[in-house]
Amino acid sequence: MEEKQRAEVRIEVTDGAAIPTEKDRGLLSAWRIAFFGSIALVIGLCIYKPHPYLDILEFVPDGIRVTFEVTIISIILSFFVGMLTGLGRISKNRGINLIASTYIEVIRGIPLLVQLFYIYYAVGSFTRIPPFFAAILAMTICYGAYMGEVFRAGIESIDPGQTEAAMSLGFNKRQTMFYVILPQAMRTILPPVGNEFIALLKDTSLVSIIAVADLLRRGREYATSTFNYFETFTMVALIYLIITLLLSKFVSIMEKKMTPYE
Amino acid sequence: MNKKDPIIQIEHVYKYFGPFLALEDINLQVDKQERIVIIGPSGSGKSTLLRTINQLEKVSSGRIVVDGEEVTDPDVDMNKVRMGLGMVFQNFNLFPHKTVLENLILAPIKLKGMDKNEAEEIAYSLLEKVGIKDKAHNYPKQLSGGQQQRVAIARALAMNPKIMLFDEPTSALDPEMIGEVLDVMTNLAKEGMTMIVVSHEMGFAREVADRVVFMDSGKILEVGTPEHFFTNPSHPRTKKFLSQIL
Repeated sequence: MEEKQRAEVRIEVTDGAAIPTEKDRGLLSAWRIAFFGSIALVIGLCIYKPHPYLDILEFVPDGIRVTFEVTIISIILSFFVGMLTGLGRISKNRGINLIASTYIEVIRGIPLLVQLFYIYYAVGSFTRIPPFFAAILAMTICYGAYMGEVFRAGIESIDPGQTEAAMSLGFNKRQTMFYVILPQAMRTILPPVGNEFIALLKDTSLVSIIAVADLLRRGREYATSTFNYFETFTMVALIYLIITLLLSKFVSIMEKKMTPYE
Repeated sequence: MNKKDPIIQIEHVYKYFGPFLALEDINLQVDKQERIVIIGPSGSGKSTLLRTINQLEKVSSGRIVVDGEEVTDPDVDMNKVRMGLGMVFQNFNLFPHKTVLENLILAPIKLKGMDKNEAEEIAYSLLEKVGIKDKAHNYPKQLSGGQQQRVAIARALAMNPKIMLFDEPTSALDPEMIGEVLDVMTNLAKEGMTMIVVSHEMGFAREVADRVVFMDSGKILEVGTPEHFFTNPSHPRTKKFLSQIL
């Protein structure tokens, strides 16, 4: 609230893909060029040189599945961790508030790759953690912190009059949060959550380093056994790009569908 | 009619915002079925006083008893007391993610455990009473200000409160919509609802109020019948205020 009152201009650039909207014609055209361009390129390459391009395309789908598994499980878990963290950040209980704030501060200050190593190798030296589980744990802890800030901002963006109205009807604080504030906050946080989702999908490529057989890992396996580095990583990059572009489109459609009451 | 039966007692209430004294030694007793209109210049503490009654604003010291419950006691179940205390806000504060009907049935279902059909039946009859039954399935944003405020009144009534608090209910409305909201409030008064209204609508005060309370600088300066108030005010500050707005 204080930030709003100061009326500062804040430039917010996140690391997810840009979400194409009707208003931003330039971005929409860029989305079309990138999306259809990369599809055409994949098809063209597979027709022009089936070996190795088509072979690569047949080799990596297992990895795409793993990438999606890690992404979806992590995003769902980090959504709930984020909700708890966001509620903790606005809590009037100083202990809870301090725990949530410290968690966010610490996690945001450590690179994800280091967190991944820490869980898999450092913690893993005491108790063996399966790579897939370590990957999801690291992603959830990291993105839960980011998501916590998204939730906090979303909740604080709701007019305090809404809380007063709910309280005046006899709702307690918890009921007010779950029946009145959070449903409204969900709408405002959908775009940033979509952004986090896309950013998380890209960041899952890091888990290939701890022996999770994701898209990048499968690509590396193919490349090292055939020495087709250029062809393999071209295809891997194009597949990531197509997935990311599809997701950003999906988020923009969801965003439009989420505004029934205005 | 059971007049002279206090339902709200406010005793020696002080409220500070930091060093600023917003309410100074407020004493007021409201009887069952009484209609009180609180007037006064802006910043005089009218809304703050109203909001202390349902504890949206905590008092710094003093005592408030509402329907036998001492709301200034930190151990009181405030949520339960608030269920019997309807409040209408200047900015309506309808839930924008819910339809008009859903706005009305949310609290009765969740807080009173009312059956959905029963809650809807009550909601429809309240919407009919405030004259917007046909908007039941619209969202608040699709309604005019006057319509939204009537929905807000109906939402508060859906909990079947004993007392209704109105915090400048017409101040955010376009002039042509003020009448429709005041009509609803006047009808409510005729039905015998206990009402405390913070308002600048002198016509409404004159017509509906049993007593008018005049506040300035956090103090109650004068309390009296509308007749006394508008024809023969005793306090010089009241005279000056009335001469400025009438």
